[in-house]
Amino acid sequence: MNKPRVSFFREYRTILIFFLVMLVLPFIIGLFEGSTPELVWNNQGTYSKFIQGLLIEIFILALFAMSYDLLFGITGLLSFGHAMFFASAAYATGMLLKFTSFPFWVVLVLIFVLSVAQALLFSLVLPRVKGITFALVTLGMASVFHIVVTSTDLSKYTGSDVGLQGYPVPAFFNASAEKLRFYLIALFILVVTYILYKSFVKSPTGRVCVAIRENEGRAMMLGFNTANFKILAMIISSFTAAVAGTLHALYQPAIIPSIADLGFTVTGLLIVLIGGVGTLSGAIIGAFVYKLLDFGLRRFIGEGASFFLGAVYVVFVLFIPYGIVGTWMVRRLGWNQACKQGWQRLLRVFKSPPKD
Amino acid sequence: MMANEFLFETVNLSKHFGALAAVDDVNLQIRRNTLHAIIGPNGAGKTTLFNLLSGNLKPTSGKVFYNGNDITGQPIHRMIHIGIGRSFQITNVFPNLTVFENIRLASQAMEKGNFRFLTDASRLKKCEERAWAVAEKVGLKEKAFSPARMLPHGDQRKLELGMILAPDPSVLLLDEPTAGMAAEQVPELIKLIREVQADGNKTVVLVEHNMNVVMSISDTITVMNLGKKLAEGSPEQITSNKEVQTAYLGGLYEL
Repeated sequence: MNKPRVSFFREYRTILIFFLVMLVLPFIIGLFEGSTPELVWNNQGTYSKFIQGLLIEIFILALFAMSYDLLFGITGLLSFGHAMFFASAAYATGMLLKFTSFPFWVVLVLIFVLSVAQALLFSLVLPRVKGITFALVTLGMASVFHIVVTSTDLSKYTGSDVGLQGYPVPAFFNASAEKLRFYLIALFILVVTYILYKSFVKSPTGRVCVAIRENEGRAMMLGFNTANFKILAMIISSFTAAVAGTLHALYQPAIIPSIADLGFTVTGLLIVLIGGVGTLSGAIIGAFVYKLLDFGLRRFIGEGASFFLGAVYVVFVLFIPYGIVGTWMVRRLGWNQACKQGWQRLLRVFKSPPKD
Repeated sequence: MMANEFLFETVNLSKHFGALAAVDDVNLQIRRNTLHAIIGPNGAGKTTLFNLLSGNLKPTSGKVFYNGNDITGQPIHRMIHIGIGRSFQITNVFPNLTVFENIRLASQAMEKGNFRFLTDASRLKKCEERAWAVAEKVGLKEKAFSPARMLPHGDQRKLELGMILAPDPSVLLLDEPTAGMAAEQVPELIKLIREVQADGNKTVVLVEHNMNVVMSISDTITVMNLGKKLAEGSPEQITSNKEVQTAYLGGLYEL
């Protein structure tokens, strides 16, 4: 009666295919513009490099969104301070590289410690507040961080509004010289994180996290000390966001304070909503949709892009509330049904509420 | 020793909600390996008493003893580890998880390895086996892979029972196990509860409105009214008790 156990390759077929496609993509794009794979390998092809750059940003966003999905979609904790995990790691990377002469591995260890410390800081309030109150408390904490980062008093260290610039990046991670290498590192980290996350969700601990999302009171009654599980999810999520933040700092020439504000948390939330809450793979697909839309619209429309982006999100939420992956999973609805329901939701927005 | 005769004991237990004394100075003793029913009219404080026993509510005053140990104020997640399992009047399951997963989680709580976060949950063989055994016992084996929210109400009640059987507690606190069930399904469930109690040396405490059920299966009945214990005794004693009749029928019919 037990479900048959499936092999690793079968289980992670989709992500492995994704990995292979992404692996050869720079070379294929190189071929289109007439650069041989050898040239691409030596970081030559212009267009290929450009696509790599775009994809690196997508991978970093996907990593960030996936860590948000673990917290929000799997464990059911709505946090509005997630950007802090990402931004603090980015700033820490930049500042440690700029103002200290620690070897890079020490920097990584310090960032790990920092991410755990932040998760524990958020966890302090976990037993006391739930739901939207928790979201607001985390928003408050992250806002403090944003204010500190942008304060002019600390501009010597953080660069204030201008951002942190001019930190030396270790030669191995130098994206401007070795873009393909950085691309492969980011891709590898994303794929490995996805597989680890997937196995986390299937693990005993992950099952309890899902149970907490579904019905925390009952999970407690079953005998699970839910606080511990939430803290663990928080630490894993925080650490992943920190990895994304470090990659961001290494890749970008400067760290600007906008990655620390609420807008960036909302970006993560949007990506998760587009892809499908609680699906993990939705974070990757959502990051692609988000970044490509953002990039494409900005390119062709310019300043007005935000308006259209907003409209696209509204359509997404109305017509496929389960997100791309989520809707794919519940195909029973069918497109007709989905469109009809979407229209009804849209009309309801404009209709006056029914009188009692 | 009292600890041996009575598994559960409350001493001057009270719970006040503002001015309302939902449970007022109740001394309740529940004998080991018996089926103890708590009945009473609506608002008598049965469910509040239950919540006090299961640790969902903290008493205003008084104490709860289990096996001679004071368990007042234990955190909720400790209760099942002490040996106290409870079910809910309103079905309280994990709606989007499968029936099997619901039961499996209930048994997983008792196992070691809850924090192994990279191995597959199916590696916890004992939980899997236990969950299948329980699913079969409560008659949900065929529906094991459907989401809990898709179950008809009667089956959700069974699932609720399965989730407290899985960790194998010594005391089952059942809050209206037959609530909202179709009449023809009730005997089946009652038979199941009786079986579990008889072959597992378990103590069952239940709140129930269905008098036929209460009278046919209980060893002891406690009648509550207005937060106080009104009467206690065997089903025969309770049926013939004048005070109980008054409480249920109201003073209007008093002769």
